[in-house]
Amino acid sequence: MFGALLQITFREWRKHKLRLTLTISGIALGVAVFFAIQTTNTGLVGSLHSTIEKLGGKSTLQITGGEAGFSQEYLQTVLSTPGVLLAEPVVETVATTVSAEREKIFVLGLDTASDLKIYADMFEEGGFIVKNPLAFTSRSDSIAVTKIFAARKGLQEGDKLTLQTQTGNKEFTVRGFFKSTGAGEVFDGNVAVMDIYAAQEVFGRGKRIDRIDLTNTPDVTVDELQHNLTARLPAGIRAVRPDMRGRSLENAVSSMNFGLTLMSFLALTICGFIIFNSFSISLNQRWKDIGILRAIGVERRNVQQMFLIEALAMGAIGSIFGIVGGFYLAKVSLLFVIGVSSTVYGLDTSPAAMDFNYAFAAEAIGVGLVASLIAAWLPARSAANLNPALALHNIETRQTESTAGIPRLLLGLGLVAAGLILTRFSTARVGANIQFFDSLMIQFGMLLLLPKLIETGARILRPVMDLFFGVEGVIAVQSIARSPRRTTSTVGALMIGLSFVFSNAAFIQSQKAALNRSIDKAIGADILVTSSEQLHSRTYHFAEATARRITSLPEVAAADALRVTSTEYGGEEVTILAHEMNAYFAISSDLLDSGNAENARAATSRGEGVLVSNNLAVRTNLNLGDVVTINSPGGTLKLPVVGMLEYYRSEKGTIFLDRSLYKQYWNDSDVDYIFMDLKPDADRNAFKDKIQTAIGSEQKAFVYTHEEYKQWVTRLIDQFFSLMYLQMVFAIFVAAIGLVNTMLISVAERKRELGIFRAIGGLRRQVVKMVLLEAVAISLMGLVAGTITGLFNAYFLVNTAAKVVAGFTLQLIFPFSFVLASVPFVILVALISAWFPATAAARLRVVDAVGYE
Amino acid sequence: MFRSPVFGFRRYLFTELALQYSKTWPDVQIMDLQTDWIVRFENVTKKYGETMDVFALDDVNFTICRGERVAIMGPSGSGKSTLLNIVCGLDEPTSGSVYFDGRKLANLNDDDLTRLRREKIGMIFQTFNLLPTLTGLENVALPLRLQGKRGRESAEKARAMLEKVGLSGRLDHRPDEMSGGERQRVAIARALVFDPPVLLADEPTGNLDSHTGDDILNLLDELHAVFNTTILLVTHNEHAADHCDRRITLFDGRILSDETKGEPVAKLRPEQV
Repeated sequence: MFGALLQITFREWRKHKLRLTLTISGIALGVAVFFAIQTTNTGLVGSLHSTIEKLGGKSTLQITGGEAGFSQEYLQTVLSTPGVLLAEPVVETVATTVSAEREKIFVLGLDTASDLKIYADMFEEGGFIVKNPLAFTSRSDSIAVTKIFAARKGLQEGDKLTLQTQTGNKEFTVRGFFKSTGAGEVFDGNVAVMDIYAAQEVFGRGKRIDRIDLTNTPDVTVDELQHNLTARLPAGIRAVRPDMRGRSLENAVSSMNFGLTLMSFLALTICGFIIFNSFSISLNQRWKDIGILRAIGVERRNVQQMFLIEALAMGAIGSIFGIVGGFYLAKVSLLFVIGVSSTVYGLDTSPAAMDFNYAFAAEAIGVGLVASLIAAWLPARSAANLNPALALHNIETRQTESTAGIPRLLLGLGLVAAGLILTRFSTARVGANIQFFDSLMIQFGMLLLLPKLIETGARILRPVMDLFFGVEGVIAVQSIARSPRRTTSTVGALMIGLSFVFSNAAFIQSQKAALNRSIDKAIGADILVTSSEQLHSRTYHFAEATARRITSLPEVAAADALRVTSTEYGGEEVTILAHEMNAYFAISSDLLDSGNAENARAATSRGEGVLVSNNLAVRTNLNLGDVVTINSPGGTLKLPVVGMLEYYRSEKGTIFLDRSLYKQYWNDSDVDYIFMDLKPDADRNAFKDKIQTAIGSEQKAFVYTHEEYKQWVTRLIDQFFSLMYLQMVFAIFVAAIGLVNTMLISVAERKRELGIFRAIGGLRRQVVKMVLLEAVAISLMGLVAGTITGLFNAYFLVNTAAKVVAGFTLQLIFPFSFVLASVPFVILVALISAWFPATAAARLRVVDAVGYE
Repeated sequence: MFRSPVFGFRRYLFTELALQYSKTWPDVQIMDLQTDWIVRFENVTKKYGETMDVFALDDVNFTICRGERVAIMGPSGSGKSTLLNIVCGLDEPTSGSVYFDGRKLANLNDDDLTRLRREKIGMIFQTFNLLPTLTGLENVALPLRLQGKRGRESAEKARAMLEKVGLSGRLDHRPDEMSGGERQRVAIARALVFDPPVLLADEPTGNLDSHTGDDILNLLDELHAVFNTTILLVTHNEHAADHCDRRITLFDGRILSDETKGEPVAKLRPEQV
């Protein structure tokens, strides 16, 4: 019997190719996004690890002191530590070629006088070709490039290569070539090597180095050596395994990974709706067939199994397509996330070769199959429970589907209320998984309430449709009201998609508003000068002398030079802002949310206290007066918290300390930002030009007024949120597929009804109008439901998710104007989606349609 | 045959309308407007199948006069429903000509045919074919709304029509809340609400018990007496055919007999068909 049932099922596929294609596309899309995001996340992490590992050569341990680096004097300490076999000091930076392509090139400063055995991959015998080693080492303009880079640029020995460095454009002479293996592989071979001393000079590092790569002697284990080194080095300079360094960077991009993972679950949820939708169509198209099957003796469970096996088959096919598409999608999205990680986190990394991950593929196929089964479960159950006598009757005898019974209504309301209450009263320390359960409760509650919302919406829309669109509008709305099951899945998909769009928009708007408020309070300067176009650059900084030339211009009334770096605190990479605290308080008069401003100014200026951002305080449970312990390359700092402020630069938290203290402990006098208040009579535009003149061609400075700075930060934030914008596009796209599906069901289900309509005098264009109006009505209901759910989700994101992920306390700003602006767009999407089903409906042959069944 | 006094005026009106149509649609052929006929089949053949070798209608010729009640009879597959579909423009003949109220249907496009159905032909089906999403009142008002009449005006007329068919108490019920007889009454009300000159009824009692079927046939008699509507009744049922003035019997797509009440029967033997 089962073979016969399957034969019937697969014949249906041949008959309804469009439905089959849309369903498989839906599954494929969901699985593709899921697989692509898993692969991208791993790819990003893999790229970070692989870049670090390749750059580290054969080192078994690396000595690091945070992104500011540390004094080279520790090289002796390391070399004298028992168990160290080889130790190579390294300076590394990213420069840009001064050419039309503006390519990034990774520059490694190495001790070229040594045998560089750690980097044997790159410099194996015959691999590193330097004709005149003496000239290479002795001249600070010497540079060696990979053979692949040289070939691409047509560089020969003795050719000039101009790079934009931290201290301006520098002309180098190519005096060597090396293989594009090991460290030479990163950035597609865009790697150059200089002598370390030349690199320190050219890149303004003074006596600092970025890290020491080392290997252990055979008689000492890596762990033992790590222990020995930790004992000898200051707390701020750490000996870590190369893979652990990767893990620390991985931590920095965890929020982005979290956002991506969220997106993949959204994709699966909407994919589930598409499958549900499709099987609802199938049920409606095969209503009578199922009645016949049941009448001739097919058991309920056989009918259910027939549907579920069909779901599994579709799930399998869709998943396979999804895996293939997802792999290519991952390749593109990896480049995208690497771009974001560079701009926002300052992490320059090179995309690792992306391998096909069989485990993820298996997981994605599993997820696709399970999602298909779950989504097909209800239609399969309905099919099994179909009353054969009823199914064999005409469509007039079909009962109006019941909408929301009281228990369902109460459960829905209860879940929404419970979710909102838990969101309101949860604290940041409740785990993210539990918090997401609150959101799920809200979503599920809304889904339960949806049929009632649709019924009410239809009742409200009916007179409006009658007034504006006549009887076609009435029939369109009545059709929705009569088939809430068919409509619910699409309104549900639209609701989920649009709620995601609106809540993301609300989150972004709330975040931006908070950021603007924070900039107004914490950065009150008239003019801001930055050394880089990135929010956080690990490469470009101003030398102190350069900063001084700017701040000593006569128009400047007050100036604060700021260094931005990061350090590990509480197991996380938090941001350090080293301000000239006295000037900072002078420029930003309304700085603190907690703490006495005068006392805080005095304490921090003397280097006797720190300020912390509110989110760090929330994340690590810090209060005023608590002592924070910061490990720096120059030793451990223990300072009390003397003030707290709203600050959103880092989702991990920010510590503010005086620059003099920073210079002392980090041995770093570089400057990233300069905040200045100008004298009342100063011309800001003229002053902006004057700054560039003051530093000459030495370096490029980016100068902003307060407002321009806010816009610049907003642009950078938008770049970070571009993932969310992508999610929005994705949600709309998938919702549109759902809408096409629903309209196809509607047309298929109402074939006879449409035939009658035509038989008694409905014109083709009236049929088109009716189907289009139905789609518009569905989309409007989805929009309303999406707005309500979006508001709840936004409340969740702002109150809970922002707190859990970043400790941010945001005020909810819901983008009602955006919602209003989206109305014509949503209607347009509905009209486009419904166009094909509408014209197909109009083309129906009346005789066939009336004789349908 | 009894002629309603209204009929003369209506014929005049139709003639005027037809002339107007002929001005609007110059390609429409207006035939013999002064005659009493409303439907004419001239050598109509309808073939089906990939090789077009199945004859649903084979060289069918007949003329139906205004106000006539004609029963189309014949066994299953004899071409009754095809004939009805061709009359109302839902289907088209493979060859031959069909005229409706003086206009050749082949000259009308889809919109014109739809308007013809909307304004001149009421249809009743065996399976009622009511729109399940609409109430009884809304179903009856639908043809008027499709003609562009305002909601309130349409509802008033529909209510009056439903009262005429004895369903004033079921206005707000949906088809699934009505009995078969009630549904068919709603279908009749819908078919007649816009006062069409022709009513096509395809087995209107086929899904009803004999008592309800009689009620429906009596209702059709009463409505015919009032409106003088031309009725084409496709039926298997001799008793239903007895309510008509004329009986056309089809067999394998050809007219087996065409008899009018009170006139001598001129039956064709099957071998003559």
